[in-house]
Amino acid sequence: MNSLSVKDLCKTYIINKRQNNVLRNINMEIKEGEMVSVMGPSGSGKSTLLYAVSGMDDITAGRVNFFGKDMSDLNSSQMSSLRLNEMGFIFQQMYMLKNLSIYDNIILPAYQSAQNKGREKRKEINNRAKELMHKLGISEIAEHDINEVSGGQLQRACICRSLINNPKMIFADEPTGALNQQNSKEVMKELNRINAEGTTIMLVTHDMKVAAKSDRVLYLEDGNIKGEYNFGKYTDAQESRERERKLSNWLMEMGF
Amino acid sequence: MFFHILKKDLKRKKTMNIILLIFIILATMFLASSVDNLMAVNGAIDHFLEISKVSDFLAVALSDGKEDEIARFLQDNENVSEYEAIDTFNLVNEDIKITSCKEEPDKSRYERTNTLCVGMVPENFMKVFKEDDSALSIGPGEIALPKVEADNNNLQVGDKLLIKLGEIEQEFEITAIVKDAVFGSPMMGFKRMFISKADFDKFRLQENLTYTKLYSVNCINKEDFKSDWMGQKFITISSVEGKGMIRMCYIMDMLIAVILIIVSVCLILLAFLVLRFTIVFTIQEDYKEIGIMKAIGITDMGIKGLYLIKYFAISVIGAFAGFILSFPFGKVILKQAIVNIVVDRAEQNFVVNIVCAVAIVGIVLAFCYLSTNKLKKISAMEAIRSGSDGERYKAKNYLKLWKQAKMRPYLYMAVNDILSSLKRFGVLLATFCLGVMLILLPLSPANTLRSDGIIREFSLSLSDAYIDTGKGETYTVDMDSMFEDMNEIEKKLEEKGIKARTGVDMGYSMACSDEDSENSIVCFVLQEMGSWDRSYAVLSGKEPELANEIMITQITADELGVGIGDTINCMASDMNYEFIITGIFQSMMDMGKGCRVSRNADINREYAAGIMCIQVEIEDMESEEVCERLEEIFPEYKIMNAQEFLSNMIGGVIDQLDTLMVFIVGIVLIINSLITILIMKTIMTKELGDIALLKSLGFTDLSLRAWQVARVLIILAAAIIIGTILSNLAAPYIIGPVFAMMGATSIELVNATLKDYIFYPLLLFIVTGIFAMICAGGVSKVDLKEVNSIE
Repeated sequence: MNSLSVKDLCKTYIINKRQNNVLRNINMEIKEGEMVSVMGPSGSGKSTLLYAVSGMDDITAGRVNFFGKDMSDLNSSQMSSLRLNEMGFIFQQMYMLKNLSIYDNIILPAYQSAQNKGREKRKEINNRAKELMHKLGISEIAEHDINEVSGGQLQRACICRSLINNPKMIFADEPTGALNQQNSKEVMKELNRINAEGTTIMLVTHDMKVAAKSDRVLYLEDGNIKGEYNFGKYTDAQESRERERKLSNWLMEMGF
Repeated sequence: MFFHILKKDLKRKKTMNIILLIFIILATMFLASSVDNLMAVNGAIDHFLEISKVSDFLAVALSDGKEDEIARFLQDNENVSEYEAIDTFNLVNEDIKITSCKEEPDKSRYERTNTLCVGMVPENFMKVFKEDDSALSIGPGEIALPKVEADNNNLQVGDKLLIKLGEIEQEFEITAIVKDAVFGSPMMGFKRMFISKADFDKFRLQENLTYTKLYSVNCINKEDFKSDWMGQKFITISSVEGKGMIRMCYIMDMLIAVILIIVSVCLILLAFLVLRFTIVFTIQEDYKEIGIMKAIGITDMGIKGLYLIKYFAISVIGAFAGFILSFPFGKVILKQAIVNIVVDRAEQNFVVNIVCAVAIVGIVLAFCYLSTNKLKKISAMEAIRSGSDGERYKAKNYLKLWKQAKMRPYLYMAVNDILSSLKRFGVLLATFCLGVMLILLPLSPANTLRSDGIIREFSLSLSDAYIDTGKGETYTVDMDSMFEDMNEIEKKLEEKGIKARTGVDMGYSMACSDEDSENSIVCFVLQEMGSWDRSYAVLSGKEPELANEIMITQITADELGVGIGDTINCMASDMNYEFIITGIFQSMMDMGKGCRVSRNADINREYAAGIMCIQVEIEDMESEEVCERLEEIFPEYKIMNAQEFLSNMIGGVIDQLDTLMVFIVGIVLIINSLITILIMKTIMTKELGDIALLKSLGFTDLSLRAWQVARVLIILAAAIIIGTILSNLAAPYIIGPVFAMMGATSIELVNATLKDYIFYPLLLFIVTGIFAMICAGGVSKVDLKEVNSIE
């Protein structure tokens, strides 16, 4: 089954009365459990594509189908519910609410989702949050303020938040873009683990090392998908180099 | 480059700049109009007495129109610099008939509020003014009424009255409602109407009419004149020291003025609060850009200059607009508050308003200078990080979400935001607090004057009904007729099976002095008469019981330098009565001066100066029912309950306070709504990223709105609690002294009632909530991509 199916997607911005077609007739599909990276030069429309297919941004034309639901048919409240319960978002900048601790930031969407479900449900949420933080190795920073932790820890906290409601799919916009190599590795390890557990992931990246760990890479140029490279499931860290090399060659062919 | 950055800034940050501009307009408007009003109110009564030409000494006496020994004395007395005697005719209810009343077309009976006379328009002393503060002029067939008389009879300009004096009767059209400095105050027990000289002369042609003469005297030496006057033992209705006494009669207007001062001070505080908030907030908003400017090498002075020019430009535009708006705004406030006095606003207000507008520009620049001063101490990177140096030792997250078993996330976020940014939301809290105090403080005098117990503060006892037979003056000269009327009332009620007791408080105008006659004052000595037996409130000691016992007010005791156990002399004409002081009480009648003797005291009836009314007491019947029954039985009398009687005595001050309350509540609601909108908009501009983030996490627009509105309402709830506590604590110090000036030195203020505590907060919640909801509607317009604006 397809997690995401995109048909004839167009996105146009009007800037100073000039039309700027950022996405032009995009057609793509992402299967359930798949991890897909989107690469391309700056300004090619990668982030716009991510935001458009995740319902974060309006589309000019076309249709986006998310787990069988046509997103064009959903109203604002249904879209909110979809984002809350079935989607997870990870941004390049580790956006969190300043007035809340790391832990409270993580559980906030779950509390919102379960606001009428009583004390027991909140206990469940807390257990899940602790388990997720433990898995991602950030248990010790739970009560910290967001300014008191490293970028890697913060991004892992953002991943925890995106997973707290057991989403069907995660959208990640340059999840390692603001991290150093070590932190970047750790974050990708977590994303691969999550994907291995069955969560579909679509991510935008500039980093070949990151993209090489996904099942498939889409190459975007001037608002069009110019090509795609299918690796198959990433299983072993040892094959990383080989995947990176293959990807590098392919990207050179694409003109990256 | 400098102006290029400025131009871009003004364009790009349109919302914040507009908000700043609006705040500056509001601040200027509040400050200029309030300072102007404070000055106007402060000198209003003096100005009114000045332009009315109130003399040093006033006297009212009856005359047959032929012999005038008082005028002769004044002419010969060496301590008199100038004097005038004005002729008027006394009017009782039966002399006047309403022939046309727009508000009550069927009404014909005229009811005086007090002793009433009709005379010509004064030209030298005791001048009067129209409602629009212009000088009064009256043509033939026209009449002008004081406001209290017009209000009491629901009369207005255009209505008609028929006046019959002796054999002549004439219809007059009301062409003006007047402000009368000397007799216009509701506390003054004498009122006058004005007709043209031609009409007055027509009445004057008749023989055997009794004149009421009004004497205005300016003295060379007041004390010597007073002594000469007392020595003459003239029989007068009233003789008082002019300006001093008249000024005190406007105490009720001063009560209104005090409220106006409270409103003004609150508005000024508000102006400073919002200004500081907006400037600090807008400069904090720009920290990132300031950091970039520092990083590329623009000097601190250059950056400071940039902001000073920007704020100067905005503040000049705002201050100018605020200056223009301050005139109508101030006028509306003043018009609502001061109705009995001619207020002088013409001379100073233009200058005052300009000074205030310039002050606002100065304050804005000072705030801006101080806020940008901090930039010197921080590095470019710190500025880019919005003032943070990256080091944080204590988490701001005071309230833990995971510890909340039931609290909804939106509510949690609202409470947590407030606790985390107390300074930011403090402005809203202070604004709301001031609003609550603005409502609750004026309620205190209104509720106190409305309370049942207040009648005792006017030296009177609480009764079921108060009857004005319209024969007050007759009773003073023919007291037997008063007792006949009282017996008649009791008898008629008994015939209906109602057992009633009646009584009056007879007043004697007497010169009271201490034992050695060193200190002397003229005051009202009250004596209880009739079949009832009342008890009166005493501050210390006990009520007089024996014929030679008396209780006096604290103010009288202070002025005479006497106390309980001392002896005082009360003198009327050539009779001297000696009394032993048994108790001290307080009274708001006659500005706190007064005495009460026992019913056994043997005072010559000839010295009676007036009664308030006949009071009726019926057992086992509520006041309302008593009044209804009396109205049925005595349709010719004016029947009042305690509240109506008090209102009749002190004028429409309670109604005026009620009107003022409506106006104040309106102002508070407008300010609350305006500040809520502006502060919410300001904060939302900074929170765009957070809102977008929450949206991306799946929060609905409704829950985000609830989050925004909850913050405002939580602050409002806190402000209501704090404001209520502060008002109750402050009332004795703000309102108490006004009552003390009136004579109630130890009055128990009645603060807001339970109804007030429910109604006004509810009203504030509903109106503020609606505006907060409208403003929070802006969250639905926030684009999810704004998440990238999080710093």
